[in-house]
Amino acid sequence: MSRVITITSGKGGVGKTTSTANLGTALAMQGAKVAVVDADIGLRNLDVVMGLENRIVYDLVDVVEGRCRLRQALIKDKHFSDLYLLPAAQTRDKDAVGPDDMIALANQLRTEFDYVIIDSPAGIEGGFRNAIAGADEVLIITTPEVSAVRDADRIIGLVEAAEKGSPQLIINRIKPRMVNRGDMMSTEDVLQILAIDLIGAIPDDETIVTSTNRGEVAVLDRTSRAGRAFSDVARRIAGEQVPMPTLEDEQGVFDRLFGMLARRPRGSER
Amino acid sequence: MATNLLAIKGSRDGLRLVLDAAAPWDAVVQGLEAQLERGSAFFHGARITVELGERDIDDDELGQMLAVLRRHRIEAAGLASRSRSSRDTARSAGVAVRAMPRVPTGDRDDRSDAWLVRRTIRSGQVVRHHGNLTIVGDINAGSEVVASGSIIVWGRVRGVVHAGALGDSSCFIGALSLNPPRLGIGDVLSVARGDRSRSHPEVAQVVDGAIVFGAWETTRLR
Repeated sequence: MSRVITITSGKGGVGKTTSTANLGTALAMQGAKVAVVDADIGLRNLDVVMGLENRIVYDLVDVVEGRCRLRQALIKDKHFSDLYLLPAAQTRDKDAVGPDDMIALANQLRTEFDYVIIDSPAGIEGGFRNAIAGADEVLIITTPEVSAVRDADRIIGLVEAAEKGSPQLIINRIKPRMVNRGDMMSTEDVLQILAIDLIGAIPDDETIVTSTNRGEVAVLDRTSRAGRAFSDVARRIAGEQVPMPTLEDEQGVFDRLFGMLARRPRGSER
Repeated sequence: MATNLLAIKGSRDGLRLVLDAAAPWDAVVQGLEAQLERGSAFFHGARITVELGERDIDDDELGQMLAVLRRHRIEAAGLASRSRSSRDTARSAGVAVRAMPRVPTGDRDDRSDAWLVRRTIRSGQVVRHHGNLTIVGDINAGSEVVASGSIIVWGRVRGVVHAGALGDSSCFIGALSLNPPRLGIGDVLSVARGDRSRSHPEVAQVVDGAIVFGAWETTRLR
């Protein structure tokens, strides 16, 4: 049974595209047939993150408008023969496709792949609605920042209203030291507000920046902490029971003790 | 009296304004104007279906009514009527129209009618109810909850809440933690109370024309 999963966030820059590339790759590493779809039409970048930008001939809009067959637009990944990218159009905008087109596209991809992972644009308008139209499930990405959490909350409401069920949450770019000092919202703080199930907590990892720039996703690098966390998320998506390591535990005992002593009261507004 | 000229009904599928079918149209429109004025906190941003019953209205009369609604920033989601000519009038003005059943179905316009909402109210969402309202879940920042009766929240309040929004300041608001940026009861408004986050159960009510917050255990409701 194939699954269509949309990754979205509301706020821009919290890691939707990075998460899509990493989860798609991690699922392919597990042996699944995976298509990742860039639904951010006009602001294409999933291809860059996956290092496939030079291979684009046709794109999603070409498929929707019948200028090519789906097969012709799918680009095979550099590392995994069962991982494909459907790139967004760069010269068009979000109005070039509609929700019905996306549903048809998702159903077409569903026949050939185990997982279809759709990277949503930021925002709550047409592009976002297109991205979730064909989805069976939705993953929400947020960072532990008040603004990102606020937008995630808004998006969760819209996903629920679209009858996509309760979405699951990935909290990205957690800095355990800052959390321990009381300077950053903890996983628990975020969950208390958003009240949905957590499927992954990704530590902040500077190597993501370099791997993204090189077009090499982090899950390929076994030394990357974020990469390992994304692999865990992929296993949870596949239904495996993977314990959620508390990121705070990766710090030393003294750090944590010091963190607790130094913990400052947080502002009331969030 | 304006209250006899119209009734407010329904909640879950949206609000309905039931206009008296026999009174002179001018009086009905005036009554509508007065009601919307008085209940502006309640109606602001709402989608409303207007029910005309048997009344026949022409283009001018319809225009008059839509102008009143527009003035109060209310979107007429539709118009229901038993009169074919009224429905035609509305249709040609571009208003969604539906026929009304001959026999009125069980209407719920009694303020004692409470609604239990079991979910988190999220940023951008609005919950509006004609009557008392209980929410089991949090009211998150950026959301809005409006009721013509009292509001009880088994959860944390960080969004805007307004009880007694049709002008009844005898209503109260209770919550496990009450930190709204803005809170209203009847016509009385209150803004956020400083920086301190409150995490114990509290009740807000109007005492001598001002909103007073008190601990749940020690507050006597008026």
